[in-house]
Amino acid sequence: MKILSGFAEAGVLLGAFILLWFASDFVDDYGLQIAFRVLIYLTLAESWNLLAGSVGLVSLGTSCFVGLGAYVAFGLLNHIDAPLPLVLLGCALAGGALAALVSPALFRLRGLYFTVGTLALAELLRLTMVNVSAFGGAMGIFMKKDPPPLPELYHYALAVALIASLAITACARTRVSVILRAVRDDEDAAAQMGVRPYRVKLGAFVLASALVAIAGGVQATKLGAIEPYGMFGLQWSIDVLSMVIIGGVGLRLGPLVGALFVVALGEALADYPEAHVAIAGVILIVLIRFAPRGVVGFAENLSSLTKKRATA
Amino acid sequence: MSASNVPLLEVFGIVKRYGGLVAIDHVDLQLQPGTITGVIGPNGAGKSTLIGLIGGAVVASEGSIRLDGRDISRLPASERARAGIGRTYQIPRPFLDMTVEENLEVAQYSIQPFIRAAIARDERAALLKRTGLVDAASLPARALPLLRRKRLEVARALALKPRIVLLDEVGAGLVDSEITELIALIHSIADPRTAIVIVEHVLRVVRECCARSMVLNFGKKLVEGPTMEIFANDEVAAVYLGTGGSREPSVSPARVIDPEAQDAVHFVGPEAERRVMTSLIALPPVIEAKVPLLDLQGICSGYGQARVLRGIDLTIREGQAVAILGANGAGKTTLARTISGAITPTSGVLRIAGDDVLGRPPHRIAELGIAHCMEGRRIFSTLTVQENLLIAARHADASAARERLGAVYDLFPVLAERKDQGGTSMSGGQQQMLAIGRALMARPRLIIFDEISLGLAPVVMDKLYDALAVLKQAGMTLIIIEQDVDRALALADHAYVLEHGVFGLSGAPSQIAADPRLRHIYIGTAD
Repeated sequence: MKILSGFAEAGVLLGAFILLWFASDFVDDYGLQIAFRVLIYLTLAESWNLLAGSVGLVSLGTSCFVGLGAYVAFGLLNHIDAPLPLVLLGCALAGGALAALVSPALFRLRGLYFTVGTLALAELLRLTMVNVSAFGGAMGIFMKKDPPPLPELYHYALAVALIASLAITACARTRVSVILRAVRDDEDAAAQMGVRPYRVKLGAFVLASALVAIAGGVQATKLGAIEPYGMFGLQWSIDVLSMVIIGGVGLRLGPLVGALFVVALGEALADYPEAHVAIAGVILIVLIRFAPRGVVGFAENLSSLTKKRATA
Repeated sequence: MSASNVPLLEVFGIVKRYGGLVAIDHVDLQLQPGTITGVIGPNGAGKSTLIGLIGGAVVASEGSIRLDGRDISRLPASERARAGIGRTYQIPRPFLDMTVEENLEVAQYSIQPFIRAAIARDERAALLKRTGLVDAASLPARALPLLRRKRLEVARALALKPRIVLLDEVGAGLVDSEITELIALIHSIADPRTAIVIVEHVLRVVRECCARSMVLNFGKKLVEGPTMEIFANDEVAAVYLGTGGSREPSVSPARVIDPEAQDAVHFVGPEAERRVMTSLIALPPVIEAKVPLLDLQGICSGYGQARVLRGIDLTIREGQAVAILGANGAGKTTLARTISGAITPTSGVLRIAGDDVLGRPPHRIAELGIAHCMEGRRIFSTLTVQENLLIAARHADASAARERLGAVYDLFPVLAERKDQGGTSMSGGQQQMLAIGRALMARPRLIIFDEISLGLAPVVMDKLYDALAVLKQAGMTLIIIEQDVDRALALADHAYVLEHGVFGLSGAPSQIAADPRLRHIYIGTAD
């Protein structure tokens, strides 16, 4: 679906960013809360989609980097009282560094084994945080300062989502894209074409992990208090996975549609938490059975079908 | 080729071992720029392994590979591609969801990430024109038929601007007119700075493209020299036709005194033979005696776009032993898979004991008493030897299964000794015995043996064929698919020779063996 060139897509993203930046003046707190959540989810889903959709690395380690970002952010805020942009940069560096550190081991695992490896990594980090009292143990850590006001947090989340979207555009709309897809489709054949699969996977993993860690940092700053079970909870990984599957794996608009869908569903069923989980499960099953390419893929199929009918 | 020339590629004493199996055994190869070299040899000779070793997909156990004097034997495949080695895969591996043009971009952008877009586009256009893919440029690779996928493989290799081009069986599965096109393409990519290696079973490609050739057999270089001399060489003919004794000298001494040869099949006495007959072989139903057990009429079959069988008529009666011979890519395995239901024919009639079974799934056909001893053995590696056997007798009750197990162990005593070992922990010959035993456990009326002697030392082959002779005497119906002509013909009542998906020759074994066309079909020297 190459409707837009890379530059046009970046332009659209910047335009949307500017519009949304000023939207905070016209929206109430509830709206900002929802928008904040969509933007954080969008960042996570874009990063996950880069890994799974473009390079074929299906990760269940999102929570690992969300949690890492949260703890790094609190460390920098509480101990050296760093300004927030610098804190978020620190989160990105930490996320990227951890990804680079574990990849020699993780990339030995292919396919499903990689997925299980990332899951194990997330659990390892969570248990470390629970058991090391210097990190607050099971009680977690409080932020010494008060969290910034909601509109400011919204702007941070918006900026982070923009950075993530632009990064993904850079990967999906340039010559990098064919290299990523080559590694995803057939690593060995790609190597025979001169592609270095290890470096390609490493680059994508580091980038995606850095973005996730920033999102974790922003989320933690909003909460004001973090504890290992929440920040390293498997729920992050599952949510992101279901968002991208609902939206459409590997499709440019998949993460956005998925994030909107999941947040909207959560709000609509906020009063029935049990029904929420059950209904989300049913929707996932139905989608995987009847629309394996997600909502976006389904819409694409429909439009191409109607086009065919129109020309026939 | 003067001695002062530094070869572009120099392979020295390369060895590849897979566990105890030596796939490539001290092979040397020198390539001069501007030459095309052919590599031929029977199935399992190590040809594709050699391509993999040079291209970097396979890591050598010993030996060195030098490109322009630089040792590249420890470099990964990606670095070798960057150094100028382009290869194709025997079964094309394009990136299916990318367009043809994007497939070429992968190679271009990986070696030159900052190449100007206009230059890259022109280069792609030139490549597509050369390989005849211009009209397919924006099609997804998935939409291409086999021949064009092979062309895309070649185009992708060329997009690397390679100095060495390795073509692995680009001619397999193509019909004559397509092969003519392929030969023209290979000639068009030859230039004075490039060296090309062609691994090919379609000997016409080698004959018309390569000035020099090398013959591999059991991982060793048998002969090397001008292609015309190679094709006239009797030893080479023997390798392809498997003419008994002449193969022996090329086998390493270690293989001849293989311990498994001794414990393979002990002497099978009439007592054991009777037990084999009663417990393993389904008695022919008396009423259907006049209906042939297997009846094929006008069967056409293949894989997607690749049509392999083009009208096969074959009738086999109860108790017959039929040999199906033919060169690689002629359609032997496809025929076996079609009979056992693994592939559904596109047209024709397939009857088993009078029942029309066209389109039935493999397990339904197996229930009718057809067992398929598949090429490559297909032993379940997570099961023990005994479990591998019992899984084929699931429908039998416990006492019947035990009785059949005993009969299989009588036939292959070595399996009884190893019954608690993992199925794939045994040697190649023992695994083949296990595969045969497993086929017998279903108490079939007909067994298809697909290349059971592949990759085995001659002594082990003899033992396997002794066992087949026992089965034949016991009244089992056999289809023997073989590259090893002599052994198959010695056992069969009737033989067919497949050529390009049709039976080019059929008759009594003695008649076939004497027919000069057999040699022609295998080696193609007669035209």
